[in-house]
Amino acid sequence: MKFDLSEEQALLQSSTRDFLGSELPLEKTRNVMEHQPDGYEAAQWRSLADMGYIGLTLPATANGQGLGTIELAIVLEEMGRVCAPGPFLDVVLAASLLAASGKEAALLADVVHGKSLVTIARQDSPFSGNHVQPARFENGRVRGTKYFVPFAARTDALLVTTPQGIVLVRAPYDVVPLETIDLGQRFAEVKLDNEGTLIGGPELLEKVDLLGAVGASAMMLGLMSRSLEITLGYVQTRQAFKRPIGAFQALQHRMADMLLKTESTRSAVYRAAWCLDTGDKDTKLACATAKAYAGDAARYVCGEAIQMHGGIGFTWELDLHFYFKRAKTLEQFYGSTEAQLEKALAAAGW
Amino acid sequence: MDLQLSDTHVKFRDELRAWLKANMGRPWREELRDPKANEDSLMELRRGWQRKLYEGGYLGMDWPAEWGGRGATEVEKSIFEAEMSSADAPPILNSLGIGLLGPALIHHGSEAQRRRFIPPMLSGDEIWCQGFSEPGAGSDLASLRTSAAIDGDHFVLNGQKIWTTFGPWADWIFVLARTDSKDRYGGISFILCKLDTPGVTVRRLRQITGESEFGEVFFEDARVPRENLVGQIGEGWRIAMTVLAFERGAMGLAASERYGRDLRLLAQTCKELGREGGAVREKLARLLVENEVLRANGLRMLANLADGKVPGPESSIEKIFWSEFDKRFRETALDILGPGGQLLRTSPEARPDVDWSREFLWSRAGTIYSGSSEVQRNIISKRVLNLPQEGR
Repeated sequence: MKFDLSEEQALLQSSTRDFLGSELPLEKTRNVMEHQPDGYEAAQWRSLADMGYIGLTLPATANGQGLGTIELAIVLEEMGRVCAPGPFLDVVLAASLLAASGKEAALLADVVHGKSLVTIARQDSPFSGNHVQPARFENGRVRGTKYFVPFAARTDALLVTTPQGIVLVRAPYDVVPLETIDLGQRFAEVKLDNEGTLIGGPELLEKVDLLGAVGASAMMLGLMSRSLEITLGYVQTRQAFKRPIGAFQALQHRMADMLLKTESTRSAVYRAAWCLDTGDKDTKLACATAKAYAGDAARYVCGEAIQMHGGIGFTWELDLHFYFKRAKTLEQFYGSTEAQLEKALAAAGW
Repeated sequence: MDLQLSDTHVKFRDELRAWLKANMGRPWREELRDPKANEDSLMELRRGWQRKLYEGGYLGMDWPAEWGGRGATEVEKSIFEAEMSSADAPPILNSLGIGLLGPALIHHGSEAQRRRFIPPMLSGDEIWCQGFSEPGAGSDLASLRTSAAIDGDHFVLNGQKIWTTFGPWADWIFVLARTDSKDRYGGISFILCKLDTPGVTVRRLRQITGESEFGEVFFEDARVPRENLVGQIGEGWRIAMTVLAFERGAMGLAASERYGRDLRLLAQTCKELGREGGAVREKLARLLVENEVLRANGLRMLANLADGKVPGPESSIEKIFWSEFDKRFRETALDILGPGGQLLRTSPEARPDVDWSREFLWSRAGTIYSGSSEVQRNIISKRVLNLPQEGR
């Protein structure tokens, strides 16, 4: 037994940290998020692909690296630490869905190589609930509107969920941007009346959803861990009443709780990743646990980071709001907390 | 990263399970509910159970072979605790002797002390209680004032100890006492005192549960032979601190087994009572998720132990997590059950599976004993977060 990363995993962690440190430092990210309408830069996407990150968990036969969920979690945790903008997790999940379908090999190869962008279109309404008719696939055509489609404006194709199965739809389609609080995650409403190809039944999503839950949780872990670091740095230097504010027990105990939630998230995320990789019997419960817990913990930790900075924490100028916003976005997507709680109950047979 | 138990550990666990099946009587919850049971009979039951475990080779597993040890590691001890939890085995009676004093004697005691005290400690013939806390020294233990004056070849003890778990049932107490009133840490010595020594009085304290598992111990010119000093004069604080470190281990794993079992029973009860609305289900789900995080923390701790890592301040995270969760869990359980959750276990209408009202009250203790949540947060801010300390 061993909780620490293996030598190879630690190497992946440090090389990813170095890579992101030079490719996506926060001052650059801030610029991209504020000025680039797509929310990320094509050049950065190509270098991610060149490094092999997109196909990290895919088998070699699909031009992937054949690594596991633990490795994906390591990379996503690092991306969370720098609050990386862009569709990385969305494309990884779409690629994983394509690979699971065993179809569209050429498209999958292009996705892995960063030449094509594909994401999954799931939401049938901007709000939760089943108050609308879902998009339908009939006679070779998809009709309906999908909301919160990740980075739809830049996609070459979408994997559209319908009651009839998952349908591949190639661009062009009608895209209306949806502006949200998180500038690093761009969403759109997509109106579909397009030809499509059925690539498989809804059951293909099962494994992809587990991967998405762990992946989003790992990214939240990175957000938390970096927010706490930034806060620890600040409270050591910021003076009030003639001492660093970090000397006040009122703040110390809250930072202890921030650490508790961050490290507990780490335990839950890597346990879930390990379960997925080993096919453990507790996999479903562990994945739902990681996502449900990380969602609450990330909002708490990133929110407390703002609070401890005082007024400056509420400014656009400080980076912390990007972390707080990303935490909220990740909490609501890839299976919301509510959905994960239902999954946890189902996994326990309650 | 690997969270799978090794083959050796799986073998250990399976043997233990088989042993439990052959040797354990009724689960603890059933013993507690037996109408004929009282505090004394339950203590005797725990003594008998302890003897069985000792004969089975499951006590002092990590001690040297001559004291019953079998070269077990922290991992096996943690697995042992988790399996005891999962089987709802009765708790042993001499947990303070075996958990704290045993290691103290092995590491700091004399050969004569080991020979005299360890065998009856293991067999349950002599029960120990711990004399650390005082009315004026709890979280700030080093401010303790019980004194041990040297008079020829005796110490003369004066003072008061409190929250003395098993006090009313113990034969002996290990005491931290002042041999020097000026030296805060270096003036403390570790002394063993028989409770029937003239000048020693034990009084029961009634807890909020109505039970008296703990008590207070008064010393009035109680004379203790010098040979009952463990280590050297003034070494008491150091011994106490090293010994408390043995309390660690993957506590979270054992706790998550116990809570997991009670949670399953709560979920079944909800089905039975028709409590299947959204509000109830969300509460259940949140408890389930939190308990699984506790399990993940426990597995991480276990894996670190197996990897040869000495648990550091992260045991504070585990302690806060399980004790704070215990409170939320038990409160929520009572909310879900409605007024019936408050029934005492002796009531014919009380749920037969879990003693919810007692658990609800007991959960207030976990965040106070063994280092309160506040002390644990201090430890984290000082030793993990390296925050400046002058602002207290």
